[in-house]
Amino acid sequence: MSQTQTFYDMIRRQGVTRRSFAKFCGLTAASLGLAPAYAQQISHALETRPRTPVVWMHGLECTCCTESFIRSAHPLVKDVVLSMLSLDYDDTIMAAAGHQAEEILQETLENHHGEYILAVEGNPPLNEDGMYCIDGGRPFVEKLQEMAEGAKAIIAWGSCASWGCVQAAKPNPTNATPIDRVIRGKPIIKVPGCPPIPEVMTAVVTYILTFDRLPELDRQGRPKMFYSQRIHDKCYRRPHFDAGQFVEQWDDENARKGYCLYKMGCRGPTTYNACSTIRWNEGVSFPIQSGHNCIGCSEDNFWDAGPFYERLQNINAFGVEANADKIGAATAGIVGGSIALHAALSAVKRARKSPAEDTKQKETENA
Amino acid sequence: MSRLVVGPFNRVEGDLEVRLTFDGYTVSEAHVVSPMFRGFETILLDRAPEDALAIAPRICGICSVSQSVAAATALAKMAHVIPPMNGQFSTQLTLACENLSDHLTHFYLFFMPDFTNAVYENKPWHEELHKRFRIPDGTSRLKAMEARAKFLHVTGIIAGKWPHTLAIQPGGTTLELDQGARIRLMRAIEGYRNFLERDCLGLPLEAFSEINSIDALRDELNTKAPSSDLALLLKVFDDLDLWSAGPGADQFISFGAYPINGEKTLRQGVWDAGEIKPVDTGAIIEDISHAKYPSMPTSPAESHSDADPEKADAYSWCKAPRYKGRTAEVGAYARQLIDGAPLIKELHSRTGSSVAGRILARWVETARIVPLMEIWAHSLQRNENYLSEYAPIEQGEGIGLVEAARGALGHWMRVENGLISNYQIIAPTTWNFSPRDANGVAGPLETALVGAKKLEGEKSPVSVQHIVRSFDPCMVCTAH
Repeated sequence: MSQTQTFYDMIRRQGVTRRSFAKFCGLTAASLGLAPAYAQQISHALETRPRTPVVWMHGLECTCCTESFIRSAHPLVKDVVLSMLSLDYDDTIMAAAGHQAEEILQETLENHHGEYILAVEGNPPLNEDGMYCIDGGRPFVEKLQEMAEGAKAIIAWGSCASWGCVQAAKPNPTNATPIDRVIRGKPIIKVPGCPPIPEVMTAVVTYILTFDRLPELDRQGRPKMFYSQRIHDKCYRRPHFDAGQFVEQWDDENARKGYCLYKMGCRGPTTYNACSTIRWNEGVSFPIQSGHNCIGCSEDNFWDAGPFYERLQNINAFGVEANADKIGAATAGIVGGSIALHAALSAVKRARKSPAEDTKQKETENA
Repeated sequence: MSRLVVGPFNRVEGDLEVRLTFDGYTVSEAHVVSPMFRGFETILLDRAPEDALAIAPRICGICSVSQSVAAATALAKMAHVIPPMNGQFSTQLTLACENLSDHLTHFYLFFMPDFTNAVYENKPWHEELHKRFRIPDGTSRLKAMEARAKFLHVTGIIAGKWPHTLAIQPGGTTLELDQGARIRLMRAIEGYRNFLERDCLGLPLEAFSEINSIDALRDELNTKAPSSDLALLLKVFDDLDLWSAGPGADQFISFGAYPINGEKTLRQGVWDAGEIKPVDTGAIIEDISHAKYPSMPTSPAESHSDADPEKADAYSWCKAPRYKGRTAEVGAYARQLIDGAPLIKELHSRTGSSVAGRILARWVETARIVPLMEIWAHSLQRNENYLSEYAPIEQGEGIGLVEAARGALGHWMRVENGLISNYQIIAPTTWNFSPRDANGVAGPLETALVGAKKLEGEKSPVSVQHIVRSFDPCMVCTAH
């Protein structure tokens, strides 16, 4: 693992052609929502910048993030990004085992201090001095803090690392704790979701490794490019919501017609994620498309926000609509209803950002 | 006498540590440690029973559909609901897709890379294996990853998202598949068949399923598919004699897989020294004498999961399930043996379960199930329901038994006053990787490791890795 090696060297050595490399840069630019001209910039960065090591650690978790990640849509993107990672350390897929693996960790910590990216899947349990998650003979929380100390930046994969997720659900038997509560003074990017969308994961990794910085984050530390819209905003069933057409019971006539699942307990209106645009399993579908409500798995505290099959009684907190019946009645005969609704939503969204952020956002939109 | 701790154990699902005692170069004793505990069974208490459908599957990101089907089955038993035919087919399609793609992942990503290890550098097959299976860019590995992503479209089309699918309900599945979706479904299954027949097995699935001895399999591969991944695998098994490595228990359990219309596609039963007996769930207990839990009832219908991390003599978070007081091995090998797959029956009569047998059984199963998936997909009827009506449960007890990729999985659920009052899960690897019980009897992996040999200077003996991985452990399911 030489210090001067670039991503390009490595990719070429693994048999990726120059042409495929150019394609990869183009795809990456597109998946990040950047103008085609950025492909050049990505290509230049990968050809000249020394490779950034990535260490991927697992705490209390279910490995769904890794599962999601290794299935990222474009085979080329997946292969390249995977090879970026697996050279270093990932419990689940790497070649090395046991002591050899521990040595890789120590080596990265010492030889690449301040240079490597730490990606964390899962979280540390703090009860009983961390005894509920022992990794290599000691509490995971210790190992995590040690590796975080030498990292340049940290990626919190999924809802576990970001928020706590199901193992932190009441009564949180092990005191499972999101990583930003045990790591101080390091930039942390949260990529929530249970699991996060594969394409979002690869795009985030590629962005960081290419531009050597974190993408723009919202106030909760999530990358804005993927978490600034609610599932509801881009849901293909949205017209039915606006028209007051709802599924009342699974498998009823309205379900067959693909009406809105709001009354079945859908959390789409309060969930910030890209499921309704990027979708899952190579763009095939997403939970709402399978006729099931969104449970809001990328939101903080979704695990204790059940019962999942009871309609959100009101989403007043967002200043939108009183409840589904009212919105149905109000919009059924009024064409302007949905326009007003969207205006109200945009206002809410604007209010959630600082003025400075807003200006920046506008500039990007205009660009 | 020397000791060795192998851990953290990589390329298994979740955290694992194996403590070995050696007599010279031979393992004389093994202790298998599940070092992680989250408390799912406690977390599930006092919630709406249906919320188990969203919480319980999150125990595991690899077997989430099987957890989901087990929870839905327990609820359906309590509510006396039977899904309509379309709902049954779509549930079994989703589960089969997850199970079979787990077999694939295990083989290409977890098990095979061990043979690219430098200790085998002088073996005649090493170069070819290294080319195909090395991490991260072995040629077979890349092909398999792509085939897997395409095959998993099945879960996407029916259930929206994988891992952590929501669409499986006690009454069936939530989506009525339209014409386009059914065509895409068939195409995804056909694509997987093509990958298997062309690259992986090299034989037509039906022909492979009918092979009834290892010798016949060798002949068939030599004449028809000498360069398939399977042919290469057999060479390695023969050369390293993995037919006798990692011998298993003498009792096997299968809860029976893929029920359609009340009939299990793969037979339910207990294999007890050559005899197949019906499963009696009342004979299943969980011994906690070496697991980090306080004393509690041993029946999964009554026990709980309060933790005791400081307990003396306890070394694992995994409880020790026993059937009629004895250990049992579960998994694809158990399923195929109990169902009477010719190749596995013949193999068992000669060697018993082993590293090679466990690996081969997954491919036998794959070859037998993919054609059934095609039939199920063709059986989906237009304009017919996918869901039966389900009324929320106020009171009741239900057991959801399914076969996950790694073996028998059971959810024991009790509901009082409309809330979950008890929930216990016994996962496949809980059986296979169980610690010792009150009688000091070691679990199946602990037993299988005895006799494994290490090479001079090895800190993570590769022979131990073959045996551990042959079970395809899922550690996050094991202790939950």
